[in-house]
Amino acid sequence: MRRLQRQAVMASLAVVCMWSLGAPAWGEQGGTILRPPGIPPVVAQAEPAPAAPAPSQGPTVLPPGGTSIEDLLLQKGSITMDEWIQIRAEQEYSGAESARRIDAIEDWKTRTELLPMLRDKVNFGLNALQFLYSHQDAHVPEGKSQDNFSIRRSELLFWGRISDTLPRWHALMEFQSINLGRETPTGGSGAATGQPIASTFFRESYIDFRPFQSWAPYMNFIRMGIFRMPFGIFTETSGGLRDIISSPYLTSVGSGNGNRTGSAGTIDFLQERDFFVDVRGKLFNRLEYVAGIMNNNNFHANATGANAPKSFYTRVRLFGTDVSWISFTSIQGESNNANTNINGRGKGAFDRYGLDFRYTSKIIPGLMVQGEWWQGHDGSNQTTVGRPANGACLDQAICGGSGAPGAQRRTWYVLGKYLISDGFLQNWEPTIMYEQFDPSTSMSNDLYTRTILGLTYYFENFPPKVQSKIQFNYEFRHHQGNGPGVPYDTTFDAFAQNAFLVQFQIRFM
Amino acid sequence: MIRMPRTIVLVIFLAVTACAPVQLFPTDATNGVDKEFDFTAWRTIPNAKTGQKVQLGGRVVQANGRNGGLIIIATQLPIVQQPAYGPKDMGRRSGEFAIFYAGSLDPKWLKPGNRLIVIGTTQEAKAVVVDDVQRSLPSLAARCLHVWNTGGKEIAEFPYNAGGGYEPLEEDTYCVPQ
Repeated sequence: MRRLQRQAVMASLAVVCMWSLGAPAWGEQGGTILRPPGIPPVVAQAEPAPAAPAPSQGPTVLPPGGTSIEDLLLQKGSITMDEWIQIRAEQEYSGAESARRIDAIEDWKTRTELLPMLRDKVNFGLNALQFLYSHQDAHVPEGKSQDNFSIRRSELLFWGRISDTLPRWHALMEFQSINLGRETPTGGSGAATGQPIASTFFRESYIDFRPFQSWAPYMNFIRMGIFRMPFGIFTETSGGLRDIISSPYLTSVGSGNGNRTGSAGTIDFLQERDFFVDVRGKLFNRLEYVAGIMNNNNFHANATGANAPKSFYTRVRLFGTDVSWISFTSIQGESNNANTNINGRGKGAFDRYGLDFRYTSKIIPGLMVQGEWWQGHDGSNQTTVGRPANGACLDQAICGGSGAPGAQRRTWYVLGKYLISDGFLQNWEPTIMYEQFDPSTSMSNDLYTRTILGLTYYFENFPPKVQSKIQFNYEFRHHQGNGPGVPYDTTFDAFAQNAFLVQFQIRFM
Repeated sequence: MIRMPRTIVLVIFLAVTACAPVQLFPTDATNGVDKEFDFTAWRTIPNAKTGQKVQLGGRVVQANGRNGGLIIIATQLPIVQQPAYGPKDMGRRSGEFAIFYAGSLDPKWLKPGNRLIVIGTTQEAKAVVVDDVQRSLPSLAARCLHVWNTGGKEIAEFPYNAGGGYEPLEEDTYCVPQ
């Protein structure tokens, strides 16, 4: 910059000299010389010695700023006083113009700096825009295809930071969540099924509140609202950051209605979102904790009844290194089968116990292995959303539901991936995952298993905010059946037939 | 009767250790460190305080390799205890300084925006090129570096990131072998 400035000064000097040389000629030619009337034109070089400021008198008559270039030129007689005045006038004019421009820019800068967007108070981003192609081997009803194109997610995210006391607000809109959620009416099997009554465009909305700055990070903040629950790893991970395309079975598995074995039907073992308030912090610089209470009725609860039986949850996460951990989660409470928005829930005691780990290798950069193990009890007479249910009795004519006794469920998975960071396979990431889901540990012939082979290419990979990628997954799926002695046909069961999926994703915020 | 005092002692011990200050550097590196070093004065007259062992927080501006070592240009940031220990951007403009680290680091630690705390000895101002402009910056020879791979975000924003993803913050300490 200084070199440029020096060059600019030298160029200015040269221009001034040229101007002083050429001005009389231009004046004679064009008559536009900037010279006060009555003063004869003066050519510096031809100026007689007496007319030029004498060295002895120069310093005494010079105005302030005697060290500037034009002052030196004046002292040396290269320019006349008129020219000196003209140069100074030009300089003052251009200086005033520059100051005016700078003032205008400063004014705009002050205004724009106040914009909420530039103060981190309001931000928006694309949580995930996913285009999915899937092929499933399972047969489909007449008129449907085994090959599907779909927009898997189209989620816009808004968030901001108000102050140290309110370090974050967050709202996520899912623009394709236009399907109406069904109610689960109260009644026996003879009652009418539930009607579609509500949709939820906003998937997530929460507020973080840090009441005491000095308590952080030991008691870091209180989070309240609806968001991904801190249950293990997958549940808490945004769809835009997941390593495989399909959701794991611990989120949801199976299709259709339940039966008396408790093994059939759709089972939402762990809801991804819920209404909750919890407190989060970090101790010993190694142990993170979360403790809170939730509605236990999924994210539709605003529409279909927020006051479901509550559940308490805790998670402690112990870090071995900065990026590797093991954690334990516990959920304790009650669940109901009437007015629920979660499949597979019965009436009565409800619990979940989870163990998860992640190992991010520092020895082999790019290698990551994670896993989760979950077990939990659902009360008797579980129901499928929309199906009438009322109470824990197993007489379906009176209590509806599945008529199944309470069930102990268990699931686990292990996932490994390796991001190639150099060579011609740079940015490719092979992934492998194996998982099991046992709908009822006391029943046989009901196990779900799946092996996923995946390959991901990252166009941009700066998680958590930027991740654009294409994923290829092949899923080897197997489903034993719906319990002992229950007739079962795999032809139309999507959980028993293999599938191939390709997903293109953009995530940017 | 004996069990009760033991329990109380255990609870007090856990409470004290849970809230104990974070120890990032080996003890021998932190011995004699001036943690209240006046950065502003040093920045104004860099050569007046040479040979002083100091601890400074900052944000990585750029990093270049030179003679088997690294020159990291960082913007000075205050080190805070809350809401998370480490350098925090307060929004005020602060000065830059140069860190000479006699070793190498994985490029991921040198990304612009990453937060760091350095323990080192002040040296005379050095001429360095920042954004293609030659500048004279106060410099120090690093003994130890602790870097958070924040990519420009605040340390306190981790691990519960905007966008819904549990993202543990990578951090590590590197020291020059003595």
